Amino acid sequence: MTMLPLSRRALLAAPAFLGLAPSLARAAGPTPPICIVLDSGGSRVSVIDMTTRKVIHTEPTLREPGHWALTPDRKTLLIADASGNALFFFDPVTGRERGHKLIPDPYQLWFSPDGKFLTVNCLRLNHVDIYHADTLTLAHRFRAGSMPSHLSYTPDSRTVFVSMQDSGTLVAIDLATMRVRWTAPVGKTPAGVMWHDGIVLVAIMGSDHLAVVDPANGKLLRTVLTDKGAHNIFLTPDRSELYVTNRVAGSLTVLDAKSLGFKRRIPMPGGPDDLCFAPDGRLWIALRFASRVAVLDPASGAVDHITVGRSPHGIYLSTLLTDTAARTAMRLA
Amino acid sequence: MLPAHPFNDLAGWVEQVAVLPLLYRFGLMQWSELSFGWTLVAIYGVTQMLLAYAVCVPLERAMPIERWDSRRVVLVDVFYTFLARVGVLPVMTFVLFYAAQVRLDGFLADHGYVPPMLETIFPPLFGHPVITFALYALILDFADYWRHRLSHRFRVWYALHAVHHAQRQMTFWSDDRNHVLDEMIGFLWFMAVGLLIGIPPLQFPLLVLILRFVESFSHANIRLSFGRIGERLLVSPRFHRAHHGILAAGERSINYGAVFPFWDMLFGTADFSKDFAPTGDPEAPEAMASGGWVAQQWSGLVHLVRSI
Repeated sequence: MTMLPLSRRALLAAPAFLGLAPSLARAAGPTPPICIVLDSGGSRVSVIDMTTRKVIHTEPTLREPGHWALTPDRKTLLIADASGNALFFFDPVTGRERGHKLIPDPYQLWFSPDGKFLTVNCLRLNHVDIYHADTLTLAHRFRAGSMPSHLSYTPDSRTVFVSMQDSGTLVAIDLATMRVRWTAPVGKTPAGVMWHDGIVLVAIMGSDHLAVVDPANGKLLRTVLTDKGAHNIFLTPDRSELYVTNRVAGSLTVLDAKSLGFKRRIPMPGGPDDLCFAPDGRLWIALRFASRVAVLDPASGAVDHITVGRSPHGIYLSTLLTDTAARTAMRLA
Repeated sequence: MLPAHPFNDLAGWVEQVAVLPLLYRFGLMQWSELSFGWTLVAIYGVTQMLLAYAVCVPLERAMPIERWDSRRVVLVDVFYTFLARVGVLPVMTFVLFYAAQVRLDGFLADHGYVPPMLETIFPPLFGHPVITFALYALILDFADYWRHRLSHRFRVWYALHAVHHAQRQMTFWSDDRNHVLDEMIGFLWFMAVGLLIGIPPLQFPLLVLILRFVESFSHANIRLSFGRIGERLLVSPRFHRAHHGILAAGERSINYGAVFPFWDMLFGTADFSKDFAPTGDPEAPEAMASGGWVAQQWSGLVHLVRSI
């Protein structure tokens, strides 16, 4: 058995993670803007030069990299390797791996807006782990439902909302008291969660809509039709539109961010999953079942494909480091 | 889109046109993350079957050890192969054991441990996936040697394993001819090994396909030896047939190795002298040898009860 405390590699990486050491980026001329794609099926990540759209290198992980989070100081990209039971530390500029720390089953993860906590959903083990962000030590473990999937915080960092994929519920956890405030049924197989202008939106993957939920009590206020297998929700950097990825239909639904009214449907076969907005307005989309990343120009509808690993899942663009609008829309700490 | 990864593209297409709509229809979308892995396993399983068919059938016709008037009993083995290789049995076993595995891993996590992996036990392995994979293949083959050897050693266990040995018309289809309980014990065994050294990474499915092909090929009805040195590097039809020979069936057998013969050589169970003996288990009930799938499974259960 391997003890949870920092492994040797992680100990080496910890000073960099804590911002106590200079970046370990390899010295090699100016770094192009990169896209990092997490290949859940291939135990590695692919690093793409966003300018040439070529894979410039790959980096190993242990088993199943799925989701990422940028540290509050934006110096480290955390990559969660669920079945590898590891959190990887990456250089967010070069896409080079710096080390890892063993923690159980990290699936989806995100820092609270105030930078104090890191919430880690352990989908396989059915618990939600809240870590102190500065030390990555466990603050509290919740068992509040089966298959915790996605999460989102209130802007004041007081509450984190977690969707329970198997239970069909949304759970509100009070981070000040470390207690579950409420648990509410929201629909079959809820996935993506987003705090949005005083309401909570939940993508209902077992159906074809978003659930609009009252954050005070979990009451279902209404539903918004999207397409079959609604998986995740993304706000455009100009905050005018919401993009919803629909896994079963193989499409994106574009909604008006204010009214939640339907604007258009964009076919996107291949199991669209995570996506990220580039400064030029294009969307970089991980196609989970097509071994490719799609680059969509929403103005013209043109789509380019870049071949990556077997099952592209999470996707990160290094342009987020300087693109304040995109970062704010993603509620990065 | 140009094809990039033929297997992945095919699996992705099957996932989108068949698997996801089915999961969606029956309210099972919580398994959509895992289902792509299952689809890939099924696609590779079908490919294994096609590859084995393409290579073994011409060779079995050109240089058979035995010729039979009827191949009816071989059809049951085809069914076994289909169940095992397109993922039906792995999925069933997964469903049965998933909850237990989650509880066990959760228990370990609550006590401050995470299950190790070869790469965390030997950190220099990290970043060397080919070497890591080769080590996993060796260790798992070693574990399988002992699982197989013990399945012969204990009478109760052999009562189930006799289903595999009862076949008198052994062909490349016979590799997956197993009692479902025997398959499940095998899965538990694999889980236990997984707890000690982790589950191997799956980034080399083609290598897994080749290893599985070696196992199928070793059962083929082909008069083929790999030569004095080759026989000691890889399990051949000649080497494995000695294990299935009527005189070797039961609690004391030889040549237990599935892919590599090293373990038999190391632990004194290798026998390179046998020459293409008839196969079968003379003590197994006739239903186990020539019955249909249900009859063989039932016969295995009865055999098990009687052996207690």
